Amino acid sequence: MNPMSPAPRQSFFQAWGRVFSVFFAFGRRSRRFKIYVALSQMPVVIAVFAQVNQAFQGQGFNSALLFFSKGIMSFDLQFLVLLLVLFYGTSICLEEVEGRTLMYLTTRPVPKAAVILGKYAAYILFLVIMINVGIILSFLVLNLRTVGNLSVYPVLFQYVGVLTLAILAYTAFFTLLGTLSKRALVLGLMFSFGWEAVVQYFPGATQRFTIAHYLKSLLPSQTTTGGLSFLTYRLEPTAPLLSVAVLLLLTVVFLTAACLVFSYKDFILSTD
Amino acid sequence: MSAVIETHKLSKWYGNVLGLSDVSLQVNPGITGLLGPNGAGKSTFMKLVTGQLKPSIGRVLIDGQKVRNNNGLFGRVGFCPEYDAFYEGVTGWQFLTAMLRLYGFDTAETNARAEAALDLVELRADKDRPVRAYSRGMRQRLKIAQAVAHDPEIIILDEPLNGLDPLGKRKIIRLIRDYRSEGRTIIVSSHVLPEIEAMTREIILIHQGKILATGDIHSVRDLIDTHPHVVSVTCDRPRDLAARFLGEDYVLSVNFGSAPQTVVVETSNRDRFFGRLPGLLVETGIAVEEITSPDDNLQAVFDYLVGK
Repeated sequence: MNPMSPAPRQSFFQAWGRVFSVFFAFGRRSRRFKIYVALSQMPVVIAVFAQVNQAFQGQGFNSALLFFSKGIMSFDLQFLVLLLVLFYGTSICLEEVEGRTLMYLTTRPVPKAAVILGKYAAYILFLVIMINVGIILSFLVLNLRTVGNLSVYPVLFQYVGVLTLAILAYTAFFTLLGTLSKRALVLGLMFSFGWEAVVQYFPGATQRFTIAHYLKSLLPSQTTTGGLSFLTYRLEPTAPLLSVAVLLLLTVVFLTAACLVFSYKDFILSTD
Repeated sequence: MSAVIETHKLSKWYGNVLGLSDVSLQVNPGITGLLGPNGAGKSTFMKLVTGQLKPSIGRVLIDGQKVRNNNGLFGRVGFCPEYDAFYEGVTGWQFLTAMLRLYGFDTAETNARAEAALDLVELRADKDRPVRAYSRGMRQRLKIAQAVAHDPEIIILDEPLNGLDPLGKRKIIRLIRDYRSEGRTIIVSSHVLPEIEAMTREIILIHQGKILATGDIHSVRDLIDTHPHVVSVTCDRPRDLAARFLGEDYVLSVNFGSAPQTVVVETSNRDRFFGRLPGLLVETGIAVEEITSPDDNLQAVFDYLVGK
């Protein structure tokens, strides 16, 4: 060691990169990562089960795309993604506070915003890979007979894009929640399976107050028509470009707010 | 000599609970011991100094600069927390190199500094073991390693000797003293006073969030005007010496110690006592074997100051 030689000055981007690489490495070694990887592959298990079931009935899977969009995607978008993103998003700040490792980050020459954004990027990468691998594999399993048919793939890419936007927006929201409250997990569950699950089905403009609304606006048409459809869910979609813009804007707003809160809030560790 | 760390009317409240109250002091290069019982406010003070907490009132300056969110300063400061907390599933090496990478060092320098720091705390042989498999003492040494690995000018150590065996404590004390000789500024907290005494005589006594006294142990001792100082004199004629002391107005009591040939004198004025003692010994021809002041032990001073 060279005595008294100061640590080199880092730009914000360099600091962000350092945080990202540290938590990408730490994250891969954690036990929960293995559990989450296993959880994220549930759509594949469901797809395999559906295929086996069809095979035993002596017929091929004729409505694979429908099963994928109505079954697998609904399960992913309304349950699995929300759950995994909730755990990862809230943990960005809370795991440091509850694990009392926060001081290792706040006493380093790294802007606090770089800590939030670096961890966010590392966890986003995990989520995007594990969730999209699960969805792609389940799609391939369900479409075994039409794997060579290139016309089905644009739909898959559309779903992957929507899931990625969902991961970005929801993780940003839960990151903010994690910086604001120690009860972020409970609040996040209430938001995910309360607010998001219910308000998205409200008629009129109210459904626009959910993230789910903008995600569903990007999926192939789900509007129910005819019969008693007026009594059932009716998506009143926002234009695709506007939906993408709103989702990205929400991501930026939530992350900015999370960085500000993390920079100025006093986090009291358990034995203070 | 200008102060490296300065606090002005520094106070911290956790809701309605007082963490630190109206602390104004200056810390110079060298070792400063922060003494106080558990919950006295030592950790709060250190967290304020390292910018982890925002003062409720007052301010903290390092080299004249504000600390909180001042990233340029953190490269010059090393902090060893009291908590036994590490990231899940990492080895000692992975933890230390990750912490160093956050300072912006490149891979080669990170590895060199990590190896040097592990050598300092004698953990190199165990560097590839998971931290969760480390003993308490090893984890403590790893925390110290992450605090000093980047060669900081200012080192803040919160209870650094916790969990170490006597040999380990001696080595860390030697390390801290070496840092002092290099001109660094070190604040060490402890509630085990002989440990601090082994490192420094420059102390800050803290209790219930308030600074009771600061300075050299003798200066602190002198602040206690009303508290009697105790001096033990081992000589060949303790009873004669006791008789002479009883005639002095600054002597409050005279006892015979448990050790043979020892007289224990309680005085209200340490300076007058030590000023008079040599003359008294010459006049009476008493041969003195040893003069000690049990009060010089920090424990005695601390016990008195906190009202025990």
